[in-house]
Amino acid sequence: MPLDHRRLHGPEDSQPPELWAARPRDAGGGEEGEESGAAPRDPCALRPLFARAGLLSQAEGSAYVELSGGTKVLCAAWGPREAAEPGGAVGAGRLLCDFRRAPFCARGARPRPGGAAEREAEREAAAALREALEPAVRLSRYPRARLVVSALLLQDGGSALAAAVSAASLALADAGVEMYDLAVGCALCRPPPGDRDASAAGPWLLQPGEAEERGSAARLTVALLPALNQVSAVLGGGRGGEPEGWAAALRLGVEGCQRLYPVLRHCLLRAARRRDGA
Amino acid sequence: FTLTFIVRTLLGESKEGSCRQKENCRPDGRELGEFRATTVNIGSITTADGSALVKLGNTTVICGVKAELAAPAVDSANKGYIVPNVELPSLCSTRFRSGPPGEEAQAASQFIADVIENSQIIAKEDLCIADGKLAWVLYCDIICLDYDGNILDASTFALLAALKNVQLPSVTINEETGLSEVNLKQKNPLAIRKHPVATSFAIFDDTLLIVDPTAEEEDLATGTVTVVTDEDDRLCSVHKPGGSPLTGAKLQDCISRAITRHKEVKKLIDKVIKSIKPK
Repeated sequence: MPLDHRRLHGPEDSQPPELWAARPRDAGGGEEGEESGAAPRDPCALRPLFARAGLLSQAEGSAYVELSGGTKVLCAAWGPREAAEPGGAVGAGRLLCDFRRAPFCARGARPRPGGAAEREAEREAAAALREALEPAVRLSRYPRARLVVSALLLQDGGSALAAAVSAASLALADAGVEMYDLAVGCALCRPPPGDRDASAAGPWLLQPGEAEERGSAARLTVALLPALNQVSAVLGGGRGGEPEGWAAALRLGVEGCQRLYPVLRHCLLRAARRRDGA
Repeated sequence: FTLTFIVRTLLGESKEGSCRQKENCRPDGRELGEFRATTVNIGSITTADGSALVKLGNTTVICGVKAELAAPAVDSANKGYIVPNVELPSLCSTRFRSGPPGEEAQAASQFIADVIENSQIIAKEDLCIADGKLAWVLYCDIICLDYDGNILDASTFALLAALKNVQLPSVTINEETGLSEVNLKQKNPLAIRKHPVATSFAIFDDTLLIVDPTAEEEDLATGTVTVVTDEDDRLCSVHKPGGSPLTGAKLQDCISRAITRHKEVKKLIDKVIKSIKPK
């Protein structure tokens, strides 16, 4: 691996201690433990969401979203500013998104910052974020300008991209950018087929936690504009089964977004009141 | 002359109108030797082995420590590793772009590494589990969330608080097989030998010193100096990267102010650590 001259180095290779952790039960008993853990979870239950806008001093708009169970996303937005390329095409403005994962956000091994795999994953997530936010922003009102959105994932407890979409739209609204609607994100996952019934996979679960996401057979993230009832982005993949299952999952995701919408609106109202009062 | 010039430049939109009449007053109403309100929050990131969030006025810094296992280096077989990494993402301020670490982030990382080395905050020998075979590596990632000046003070404080919060699982080497066994249920805190605290000053025109500069004050300053002291009132390091020269007497003033600041910070950290219920 080429030496990264900009960062300080530790040993070339290190492993997380979990690799050598003594397992409390062996493989046979382990599966039973997982199944009994999965059964009580209500597939349509939404995790409590905490959102707060307007907390960073250096950004024009900012938002922090936390899902219970540990997903923490901080997002900052700026805009509009002069577009970088002077000879750019005349037309609507551009939305530039950036998504970063903190090195300590995932349970288990720490990914090397600056590694190629990291950068690839971040670029993919940033592209997905842009796809989800673009339909919500009135880019035609900012010709030849660019709007910048920067998201940082502090802790990954599942449904990270969905939380980032919600945080990013809150941050843009907090920055005073004109939008058609807030983009609300919701994630789903489908656990792999159980031992007894190999053909049917488990039901789709809304807002999976980290353990559920890691062991899932298929994942889906839906971004919705609730007031207009339009889906702005769908990102998913895996071994999910027949197309009707995916359609049902999409409907479930849309319903989840609609239920989250009032929380985000309330958060924006409070931020606006706080700003006026100060 | 200089201070009134600065005050006039920065006071355009300030609400502190009464500041104009008062001498030796900064745009946010602080005295020359006054720090901004400091708040600490420990243990918020559960995926990290230790974490701390520090707010110095508007400047917000979060530090997460992750512990991994590795073979010690060949030339120091009884030492572990501590690897600091300061990141200034584009989120914290418009002056930073996304991408590899810029100059300021690299300089800050090197400063933190020097503080760790000079103050012996943790003895690297304590991190070694088996000589030549297994040692702990502590990756300390310090991320700035909001950049309003005085990043070095906030980073050192966040690092100290996070290290105090770290709980390492106990590792034993099985004698027969030679493999290591990690017990995740039984965790021990780190042995923190010293508590270094950094205090930064901004120099104006070779004569004026102000403590804890904000981003605006840093931009206007002609130099900065950072003094790191530990709890025995000993000097760990003085960091003065160029800038206008400073007389010996002024430097002595800085050191005494840093010693006073150390006591305040130590009290705050002890209060926070005590308030956390043991897991």
